[in-house]
Amino acid sequence: MSRWKQFKERGVLMVFVGLCAVFSVLTPNFRQLTNLINIMRQISEISIAAVGMTYVIIAAEIDLSVGSVYGLSAIVAATILRSGLAGFPVPFAFLGALVVGAVFGLFNGIVTTKLKVPAFIVTLSVLAIARGGVYGVTGGYAVSIFPKSADPFFLIGESLGGVFPIQIIIMIVFCIIAGIILSKTTYGFQIYATGGNKKAADLTGINTDRIKIISFVVCGICSALSGLIALAYLTSVHPSAGIGREMDIIAAVVVGGTYLYGGRGTILGTFIGAAIIGVVRNGMVLLSVPAYSQEATIGLVILIAVISDTLLRREKVQ
Amino acid sequence: MNHIEFHEISKSFPGVQALSDVSFFIRKGEIHALVGENGAGKSTLINICFGVLRPDKGHIALNGSSVRFESTKDAERHKIATVFQEIPVCNNMTVAQNIFLGPAPKTLHGFLDTRFMNAETKNLLRIFDIARQPNEIMGNLSLAEQSMVQILRATYSKPDFLILDEPTSSLSSEQKALLFQFVEKLRNERDLTVLYVSHRMEEVFEISNRISVLKDGRYVGTVDTPGVDHGMIIKMMVGRNIEKHIYQRSSVLGETVAEVKNLSRGKLLKNISFSLRKGEIVGLAGLQGAGRTELGRAIFGADPIDTGFVSIEGTRIPPGNVRHAMDAGIAMISENRRDEGIISAMSVSDNLILVSFRSASKLGFLVGRWIKRTVETYIGMLKVKLSSPQQRIDSLSGGNQQKVIIARWLANNPKLLICDELTRGIDVGSKAELQGILSDLAKKGLTVLLISSEMPELLSTCDRILVMHTGRITGELSHEEATEERILFLATALGK
Repeated sequence: MSRWKQFKERGVLMVFVGLCAVFSVLTPNFRQLTNLINIMRQISEISIAAVGMTYVIIAAEIDLSVGSVYGLSAIVAATILRSGLAGFPVPFAFLGALVVGAVFGLFNGIVTTKLKVPAFIVTLSVLAIARGGVYGVTGGYAVSIFPKSADPFFLIGESLGGVFPIQIIIMIVFCIIAGIILSKTTYGFQIYATGGNKKAADLTGINTDRIKIISFVVCGICSALSGLIALAYLTSVHPSAGIGREMDIIAAVVVGGTYLYGGRGTILGTFIGAAIIGVVRNGMVLLSVPAYSQEATIGLVILIAVISDTLLRREKVQ
Repeated sequence: MNHIEFHEISKSFPGVQALSDVSFFIRKGEIHALVGENGAGKSTLINICFGVLRPDKGHIALNGSSVRFESTKDAERHKIATVFQEIPVCNNMTVAQNIFLGPAPKTLHGFLDTRFMNAETKNLLRIFDIARQPNEIMGNLSLAEQSMVQILRATYSKPDFLILDEPTSSLSSEQKALLFQFVEKLRNERDLTVLYVSHRMEEVFEISNRISVLKDGRYVGTVDTPGVDHGMIIKMMVGRNIEKHIYQRSSVLGETVAEVKNLSRGKLLKNISFSLRKGEIVGLAGLQGAGRTELGRAIFGADPIDTGFVSIEGTRIPPGNVRHAMDAGIAMISENRRDEGIISAMSVSDNLILVSFRSASKLGFLVGRWIKRTVETYIGMLKVKLSSPQQRIDSLSGGNQQKVIIARWLANNPKLLICDELTRGIDVGSKAELQGILSDLAKKGLTVLLISSEMPELLSTCDRILVMHTGRITGELSHEEATEERILFLATALGK
């Protein structure tokens, strides 16, 4: 098999390139530097959370609570920053947010594996619980005014030389590390085994429960990180932050070629999937597509990307 | 006039010519066997017969007239029924519902006629002595019982032509006998024509009238079964003389390496005790439900133990934990290769290192060079046929998949290897190869516990055979003492 044919992500890559070409032709603004950077920024939010989701889906589970965890982490961080905790709130804001993500992830993982409740149901409930937590903490109000001691935090949302956003660098580094862990470590290997055939993995001594729990925790932390970055960029957070996010995140993972039944998927694929979604959303705004049609178009794009990927895979199996 | 005629049937898939110009005929009322190695094209031919696939070239003639099946419904309308090897059952539905899957009988008012379904099912179950109720959930039945229900389902519609694909692979000898009786009865009553596809030569010789051989997608020939030379059939299938695996006593039997003492688990295992010596191949025989798989799993830690223990080289192993058993040197190849063995989405290489990756990792990272070396070593040692270690494991034949699974455990240097139905569903040539591999490994010091339902395999491979019946060990036979009759006696607890 030639290297190109072995390149698993080639299906979605072709879709991505195709979309960019289409949009470049349809609207000249697409190609402008400021717009491209905008797209990258949007992608960085989806992709960081999508990385965590990729781990969970490869392990043959699902996490629907990511949108609410994203929101709750951002709110917790914002609340800590606003309190100006002993004049040194920034590290605690980070810690608070990541702990929220980890704790919900742990909860999702334990209830799913030990109590044997389907992940769909567990994480759906957490979606509601965490959202309730958001309203509880904020009382329904946005958090937007911060003391001077919180300033170092918002540096993350800034750009190098006023042009290149730092969050893009964070995204790239994060994705590279996540990709290496998934493809080169024993932990990553065990995730593929657990998702590919749990019974077989159990019979070779792999602790599939532990693998799944860790994946859920990773997913929770990724959602939290994504929320932190959004907060840094927007310098405020509203209680509705993250509502509906789970759809884009799961879409990015699935479009990227990760098999919903588990056992297959890559971080690179997810990254391209997030890129496709980012590009399409951006393109539609530039083309002044009415809001109603936008959702339908995203749905169509997801379908086309998944179908083309499925057809290419089927070729390989024969 | 012949019942079924194949005229120059050809079929290809991307990259492989599955059938080329296959032409032969089947007479009405005969039991016609179809044999061939894995990949010979048997499944493809069956699928074409049943309307699942359409031939690229050629046609089938039914009672003299050419037919073309666009779907399985077409085939069914022409009174053809098939029982496939991989049993598609609806585990969540009842036995009666499974038998009447498809257009279900309705009452006058259009409702489901459950009373009729259950009554008919009860009669059918009696044919095979299946001790189950029509409203039991299919998922609770054993593999053997599910097999038999499938056969009942297919024959219920009173077909003229019945295709059986490896129907006995999960049946015990008693059940097999019932099946053969049943098929004979249908043949006598209704002139039923049967196409019998199987790897089990003894059965093929026992039940068929004529045997057709496929090899690499081509038709080799048909012979009359009575008086046929077994060696010749094998030669037709593989194109060379297959040395059936010849038993060789392991040169030196070492000390006791594994001991099982008073092992009990609920109603499944009762007070089992035995010991195994280094370099021994010990067979575990018995009928369906005797508890052999359960014993293997208990020793391997996949199931808990109520009383008793297992020890390796004198050290007792904490029960009910696979990692502990593995660390002590026990390995197990489960009988269900597809559900519990291979990870189909993964490559051959990944499947191979599935057990040993831990010991060769540095700081949690997989070591690429070690992986490559290990995979190459074992692919060479076991002669696995593939084009690249990166290809998906489910693109390999069953025999080669089993080799990869054996390699998976060997790479961890086990002391005791438990094999559960190692060669089930695998062609004759690969079977002999796998048995040879076990012998070689035993000579090098590996101890093997061979759980098997195939008498010839047990008789030709094992140094001694333990026989089980309803959770107990009823007896032990040395290689010299063992015969099929004696094994059967002990397996049915009829005599000692």
